[in-house]
Amino acid sequence: MRQPDGSSIVLTTKLQSMLAWVRKNSLWPLPFGTACCAIEFMSSVSAHYDLARFGAEVVRFSPRQSDMMIVAGTITDKMAPVVRRVYDQMAEPKYVISMGACACTGGFYRAYHVVQGVDEFIPVDVYVPGCPPTPEALIHGILELQKMIQRGETHYDRLSQKGAGNAESASI
Amino acid sequence: MQNPLPSKLQSLLLSSEVCPDGHVEMKVERSHLLEVLKGLRDDPACSCNLLADICGVDYPDREQRFEAVYHLGNLDSGQRYRVRVGLAEDDAVLPSAYSLWPAADWFEREAWDMMGIQFEGHPNMKRILTHEAFQGHPLRKDYDASQRCLMTEDDLMVPDWAKEDQASADDFETQILNIGPSHPATHGTLRTVVRLDGEVIDRAECEIGYLHRCFEKMSETHGWNQVIPYTDRLNYCSSMINGVGFALTVEKMLGIEAPPRAQAIRVILSEFSRLMDHAVCLGANLVDLGALTNFWYFFQPREEIYGLLESCAGGRLTVSYARVGGLSHDVPPDFEERCRRLLKEIPPFLDDVDKLVTTNRIFRDRTEGVGKMTAEEAIAWGWTGPCLRASGVPYDVRKAAPYMGYENYDFDVPIATTGDTYARYLVRMEEMRQSLRIIEQALDQMPEGPIITGDHHVALPPKARVYSEMESLIWHFKLVFDGIHVPKGSAYGFTEGANGELGYYVVSDGGGQPYRVKVRPPCFAIFQAFPHLIEGHMVPDLIAIMGSLNIIAGELDR
Amino acid sequence: MMKDVPTVNVDRPPSSLLERIYLGPIFSGLGVTLRHFLRNLFGKKDIATIEYPEVKRQYSERLRGRHILTTRDNGKLRCVACYMCETACPAHCIHIVAEENPGEEVAHEKVPRIYEIDLLRCVYCGYCVDACPEEAIIMSRTHEMAFSDRDEAVIGIEELRQKGPIEEADIGYRPYF
Repeated sequence: MRQPDGSSIVLTTKLQSMLAWVRKNSLWPLPFGTACCAIEFMSSVSAHYDLARFGAEVVRFSPRQSDMMIVAGTITDKMAPVVRRVYDQMAEPKYVISMGACACTGGFYRAYHVVQGVDEFIPVDVYVPGCPPTPEALIHGILELQKMIQRGETHYDRLSQKGAGNAESASI
Repeated sequence: MQNPLPSKLQSLLLSSEVCPDGHVEMKVERSHLLEVLKGLRDDPACSCNLLADICGVDYPDREQRFEAVYHLGNLDSGQRYRVRVGLAEDDAVLPSAYSLWPAADWFEREAWDMMGIQFEGHPNMKRILTHEAFQGHPLRKDYDASQRCLMTEDDLMVPDWAKEDQASADDFETQILNIGPSHPATHGTLRTVVRLDGEVIDRAECEIGYLHRCFEKMSETHGWNQVIPYTDRLNYCSSMINGVGFALTVEKMLGIEAPPRAQAIRVILSEFSRLMDHAVCLGANLVDLGALTNFWYFFQPREEIYGLLESCAGGRLTVSYARVGGLSHDVPPDFEERCRRLLKEIPPFLDDVDKLVTTNRIFRDRTEGVGKMTAEEAIAWGWTGPCLRASGVPYDVRKAAPYMGYENYDFDVPIATTGDTYARYLVRMEEMRQSLRIIEQALDQMPEGPIITGDHHVALPPKARVYSEMESLIWHFKLVFDGIHVPKGSAYGFTEGANGELGYYVVSDGGGQPYRVKVRPPCFAIFQAFPHLIEGHMVPDLIAIMGSLNIIAGELDR
Repeated sequence: MMKDVPTVNVDRPPSSLLERIYLGPIFSGLGVTLRHFLRNLFGKKDIATIEYPEVKRQYSERLRGRHILTTRDNGKLRCVACYMCETACPAHCIHIVAEENPGEEVAHEKVPRIYEIDLLRCVYCGYCVDACPEEAIIMSRTHEMAFSDRDEAVIGIEELRQKGPIEEADIGYRPYF
């Protein structure tokens, strides 16, 4: 519930921060893995790094069941409409991590069939550099995303702060 | 060396010669092409059973602008053949070789897509790597490397027969099902459209190219050594093997050889990479079949191998360790100790998986007799590597055309006879153990010495001398700014990648950058047989078969 | 030729009765997982999981992470703006603008006015380090980075400059002699 001047009352602030706490600790990833980065994503869910410790182990390939899309690998012009469609199918709140040089900027493929950064067509919350990033770097990125969710700085939060049409704030 | 071509064939050729690397090269007119190819296949003196690759090259200055290069091989004798045919720009049409080898299917489509060479009589002449809205042919020299064509619709690429089927909805028995590209069992980027008759697949078609990241065009815009990081990302599960394969091909053109120590290190790390590749393949295949535990067991030794690669090269997955003429730097002092520890640590994990899976009845029931391939068919489709060996053909490049001293190591080639998914699993399991054998021998025999050639036209001088001596500094400058100059000509270098014969056909115009690099990815030939392989099976079998073929998209689509 | 190759046949006989009734393999499989379970439960020493971020594994001395521009004893950059790294970079992620050395030293005529690396473009291949004739650019082992904006990732001289003595920097990949 938001006051007309834009400030929130104390109770909803607490509720919102609790909601953020809940959200950040159960980020179910949708790994949109296409290339080398997907292999490192596999490493980070396997025994050595165990993403389960951060509540993000429930890897879901169904967009309806996931909160966080990890774009891992090169996205080509042929693949771009698919990424966009999968992103559109995800239920809100949704977050995007762009993993690795190719997904972030196209990397060293300045080429005729490679998208120069997935932010051309989907909003990205966290960019993780590396080619491919080590599992530690990916986990670091996920921890950063958790902090951003707690602080309310993600694209989703910015959109919902703009006001109307936001289901979550209406229900609170 | 004697020209082994029969005289009947020779009369059809414009010219023929035996190249320094033993390949027989011939030039032929377009009108005689099919006759020559048929002769090469059927004549007992040649009997080429493998069509390894078809490559288009663009020479804008020549009267006949395009050249198509066919790479053929006889698996029994090991002899290789290369057929070149020139084509004018306004009439770039060739007869299709699909009727001779089904392997020509995708190779010809690729030549059309990338270079704009038409093939008459091909059953499905469509773009393969780029999308339908793409304009132009990107590997032509006048195509700008960064010129993109956007695609906004994602449902364009449906086969014609599937569209027709959907339109005539009066037949309720059949159903069109689209699997991929974003599907957990298709490893991210593969897409198959199947028609189901009840639960059985009666027609299928694959759509690839979702990871086409223009490796070949990028190679043409970068220096010879700068291509190595790109090769790492071809088959990213075993990146070391790709870089070594490319370096070997360029070394062949330069007429140099890496020092013995570099070769031994390359062998050790290549075999570890092969092991990792098989581990990922089997781990992922078993996950797709519902056996998740094996995935964790396989990934533990993998992490250890990553640690080893990181200690040598600085990168875990994409190592960028090979250089033309050797390696970028020497291995750390504890290398041997670490390798020996790994040799001890890895077999127990393999045994664990063995106990969990190999005799398990559910696994056997799901994989035995599924996705069967006979030896003749497999060769005709251009299969190589573990998948071919599972059909009973003991073809391994490490034995057939040894490189890097593989002839000095004692190892066996695992074969199976049934050619099904289970056989492919068994062959990969045994190959991992054989790789460990090779590594052990290579460690025992590892020589001391330099790790890169001393030729300053090829290798950067040692850093200590660059800092202190003027001459070395000048060489360093020259090599960084100007690059290696590879003599004019072309070569086909092939090595045993984790999935089969990994070939590089490299053309040089004498400049600091490759003129044309064509990769012959083993997956490409294997995956084109996939629709044929799954017909008559059910959808869950499709998943099992796809996993067992180990299709790595980076290599498939480049 | 192919016939002389030493081969090992890996075909397996049809399942035995014990295997067909499923019980043998399932118990041996359960044995394997139980052994792993017990070892993880009681043998604390060889648990595979690393408690990142509190605990970190031992990284290689050659790990290729974020770049460092090294400095001389007087605190000035070693870089002489020769453009070798920019040329060697396959990703073209390094951008250098040179200027005349404003100081009184004459030994090094040029210095970089702008030296920028796009950390998101960079593929961390180490070619810039190999190409540098002055050991002016080396790599650290800092590989955990995350940005919320693409512009943040383009870092300049101040961020890249070596902080404090080189021994204290977390050095990764550097030229080997």
